[in-house]
Amino acid sequence: MPKEALAFLAGLLLIWQVLASAGLLPGYLTSPIIIAREFAALAVGGDLFLHSAVSLYRSLAGLALGAVAGIAIGLLAGTSRSVAGFCEPLVSLTYPVPKVAFLPVLLVWFGISDTSKVALIALSCFYPCYIAALYGVRAVEPVWIWAAQNMGARPRRVFFKVILPAAAVHIFGGLRVSLALAFILMLASELIGSSNRLGLGFLVISADAGGRFDMMFAAILAIAILGYGADRVLLWGRRRLLAGYAVTEDSAHA
Amino acid sequence: MPSAWRPPLTWFARGLPVVVALAVWEGIARSGLVNPRLFPRLAAIAEQLVVLVESQQIGLHLGASLTRVVVGFGLAAVVGVPLGILMSRVALFGRVVEPVFSFGYPIPRIALYPIAVFLFGIGHLSKVVLVALECLYPIAINTYYGVRGVNRLYVWSAQNMGATRAQVIFKVMAPAAAPYVFAGLRIALPIAFIITVLTEMVSSTEGLGWVILYSSASLVQARVFAGVAIVAAVGFVMDRLLARLRNRLIFWEKETVLVGIR
Repeated sequence: MPKEALAFLAGLLLIWQVLASAGLLPGYLTSPIIIAREFAALAVGGDLFLHSAVSLYRSLAGLALGAVAGIAIGLLAGTSRSVAGFCEPLVSLTYPVPKVAFLPVLLVWFGISDTSKVALIALSCFYPCYIAALYGVRAVEPVWIWAAQNMGARPRRVFFKVILPAAAVHIFGGLRVSLALAFILMLASELIGSSNRLGLGFLVISADAGGRFDMMFAAILAIAILGYGADRVLLWGRRRLLAGYAVTEDSAHA
Repeated sequence: MPSAWRPPLTWFARGLPVVVALAVWEGIARSGLVNPRLFPRLAAIAEQLVVLVESQQIGLHLGASLTRVVVGFGLAAVVGVPLGILMSRVALFGRVVEPVFSFGYPIPRIALYPIAVFLFGIGHLSKVVLVALECLYPIAINTYYGVRGVNRLYVWSAQNMGATRAQVIFKVMAPAAAPYVFAGLRIALPIAFIITVLTEMVSSTEGLGWVILYSSASLVQARVFAGVAIVAAVGFVMDRLLARLRNRLIFWEKETVLVGIR
């Protein structure tokens, strides 16, 4: 992060701290120092790690299920015309639907358990992965495939050695979108209900209800760190896997 | 092998998978393996759909949800596009603000909802602000990359031929960046819907999200599905409208990949 941006954020924090110390802010905007102290207390007590672990498990399990299904079906649809013909109308019909609307349905089917949360996250993560895998395969240069075929590669080899690596850049783009979605839905489902009274979303909503705004902000800070960290891990994984392929900094976002 | 060219699907070919999916649903519902109260038949859902549509309140709920989606999304577009342009055109502004967006992108803004309720109340405003905040990211980031990616040769040749600053911006940069801006808008619209329905479920007494949650709490599962169907229809229609607007405005370039552009 450039120095100017860091200075900008530090300035914002400083203004917040000064205003809070001067008593100019309403009580629910606790000062950053108090939030940091509460964050440290929660971390030392171990509660923070417990809530984080539960939230991470829910989001990553859902992401894994949705991504595996989405990428597998997307790759199939990309290579087979009939699979694409069957999936395309269903996906384009259901893609703009906010999947969170299904949360009450899933809650009734699976209870306020981890299962309903994981199912919701998997459902939401399926779409970006499917679309990214499908378009990733479609975007492969036909010349590369022809060249491989010309040199006698069998379909299996063409798929694993040419199509899959070429589509991987797109697939990682889909995974990144899915990761952000998984965190949004993990929080949302925990705000609406958590059976075992665990999870960062539950910590936010219960601290909010109890008027413990320092604890609420500490939980939000933990969410921010987790979301940011998971994204960095994904980008690092992409750099490792796609080392040697043309991935510029711009295509990291595009 | 990837299919380079496909014949346009006919209505029959497009409709068949949907019919198959509905038939599978009806088959499961009739099989007796699941409780019909939890997994209602299509006829029961249709019946509840009629009840919902005929009830006096559906206009109120639909209006509340649409207001939140449209105002929040509009606000994000009105703020996000100029922000993206500024980030790419003004060096210092870009160095300060762009990292806030690209680093803040993976952090879910929905965590701020309880604070938004304190700051802006439990009515429309807190929900609109959260929708706008969440939509701002894809719109601003896409605009930023769109404007930054404008081919310099176009700008130079326009300048060479004596174009003014305003002409360069409106005649060269705007058309070149427009496909990216619309890609951002197309990503942001479903997000606006997600956040609206979500915040209505967490705390509200009106809106489609509330209708779904209330029906679920009343144990009328068929009405829950009817509510989901209404949300689905509205989301689908809005997405089509935006796609149609995009193809009208940007007639020279076909729409490419939708997701992954973030």
